[in-house]
Amino acid sequence: MKTIAIVTLAFVTALLVDAQEQKWVAPRTSDDHPDMQGAWARRGTRIQEANGPVSPLGEFSNTGQPYPTIFNTGVATALDRATLAAQKTGVVDPADRVLPWRPDADAARREFIRHMIPPASLKYVEPTARCVLPGPVDGDDRSPFFIVQRPGSFVLAYEYNHVTRVIYTDGRPHVGKKLRFFMGDSIGRWEGDTLVVDTTNFNDKTSLAQTIPYHSEELHTAERFTRVSPNLIEYQLTLEDPKLFTTPIKVAGYFAAAPKDTEPMEFACVEGSQTLPNVFGIEFAPTR
Amino acid sequence: MKAFLASWLMFVFVPIPLTAQVPARLPRTADGKPDLNGIWQSLNTAAWDLEDHSGALHTPPGQGVAEGGEIPYRPEAIKKKAENFAGREKYDLAETACYMPGVPRAMYMPYPFEIILTPKLIEMNFTFAHARRNIIADGTPHPDGFPDFWMGDSRGRWEGDILVVDVKNLDERTWLDHAGNYHSDALHVVERYTMIDPTHIQYEATLEDPKVFTRPWKINMTLYKILDKNAKILEYECVYYLQDEKYGNAKPVVVSK
Repeated sequence: MKTIAIVTLAFVTALLVDAQEQKWVAPRTSDDHPDMQGAWARRGTRIQEANGPVSPLGEFSNTGQPYPTIFNTGVATALDRATLAAQKTGVVDPADRVLPWRPDADAARREFIRHMIPPASLKYVEPTARCVLPGPVDGDDRSPFFIVQRPGSFVLAYEYNHVTRVIYTDGRPHVGKKLRFFMGDSIGRWEGDTLVVDTTNFNDKTSLAQTIPYHSEELHTAERFTRVSPNLIEYQLTLEDPKLFTTPIKVAGYFAAAPKDTEPMEFACVEGSQTLPNVFGIEFAPTR
Repeated sequence: MKAFLASWLMFVFVPIPLTAQVPARLPRTADGKPDLNGIWQSLNTAAWDLEDHSGALHTPPGQGVAEGGEIPYRPEAIKKKAENFAGREKYDLAETACYMPGVPRAMYMPYPFEIILTPKLIEMNFTFAHARRNIIADGTPHPDGFPDFWMGDSRGRWEGDILVVDVKNLDERTWLDHAGNYHSDALHVVERYTMIDPTHIQYEATLEDPKVFTRPWKINMTLYKILDKNAKILEYECVYYLQDEKYGNAKPVVVSK
């Protein structure tokens, strides 16, 4: 009898603990939104399409390890681990990862990437190899990302190439249509505990993947950031570009907490890059 | 009517204490610090020359921001400064190659920047070269063994209402202005950000570099808050513009296979 009682008690306790974990609520900022501040390592947001062309940059690709997460160090909670196991990554819509290309756009980009190695001219150089801002998808996952929040804005500071996205959540509209940016113009709003970021005003000078070397100025993205467990932010990216795709595509990824005490370091790019001097034989910066 | 005027005069002539160094009515963050959040810009000509300088083509005239007027160069350093000045259209890497401008120069480039203030991390997001400073304000010192950075390693702390930022590990390739004023890798900068009213910051930086200067010296200027509706930092992707100009019509010389 005693044994049954103890077993029952243990079972009920387990249920209660489980229920408590399910009800996990993110810590709050002073303006009562989920606090996502800190250092994060990004995973899974690459666009890898099925039946796409072979990457022209294959042998030149970055092969380094992505920035470590606390999941490598054993600090993650049981809820973190359970949540991580459920995370999807990469292209989730369409489910078969065959992107809904417009036939003419597909043919044009396949022709374009044939001229990338060696680059036929500057316009065929992969944009991040030029050290310019990486656009809506790229951003080197070998470096951490930092989130800083204050009332009225949410800041995503990449270590990579010191990219800083200040996403205002104060209700202001997008900037005027004539303004065009590598990173677009981002406006955020809170839908419950999810930050939803709408980005427009892109230029057409960044790539979406090694095999999608450009997009149009009509690109429009929606991102969703949800802190789902102590050490995990769920991330969704929807991209719509009517000049490339007949329907929007959806990418899933996540930000996992970076090891404790990760500080932003300086990622200088153009200051050290020899890509263009090597390709074109012209010194970028004069030296004495 | 007279009474009305009298009451107004009384109101106008209520004595205002002039002794307080920092006005009490500063906007403050949730943790009580002067709220430095916002978009700021200097409105001087220090980016062209920290010292007094007359006008010249593409150079607005300006009174110097170096205390005492002149930068106290060591005798042997004056020659290099003169060489830098002569070659400035070629060798000033911020202007000619869009490199990050370093500290303190980033603070007075003629472009706006944003301060993002949180208790333990203060970010500064600059229009120019999309440079960023990450100012660690969690009480940790400069780490040992760090390399030099274009924007240095910044550690912040509060002295009452004044934000004090200590900067080391500054790359010697940055200049202090377009006139070729320079420093070595021994440069140590201590900045003091004093919010003097809701829309102005008094900015002071002490520069110490025994390899180049005979003594520590100070620059002093005002930072002005940009109040325009919906102001934000926009992209000035200098590198892209410059590459287009430099390589746009060039043909590759390397065949990689």
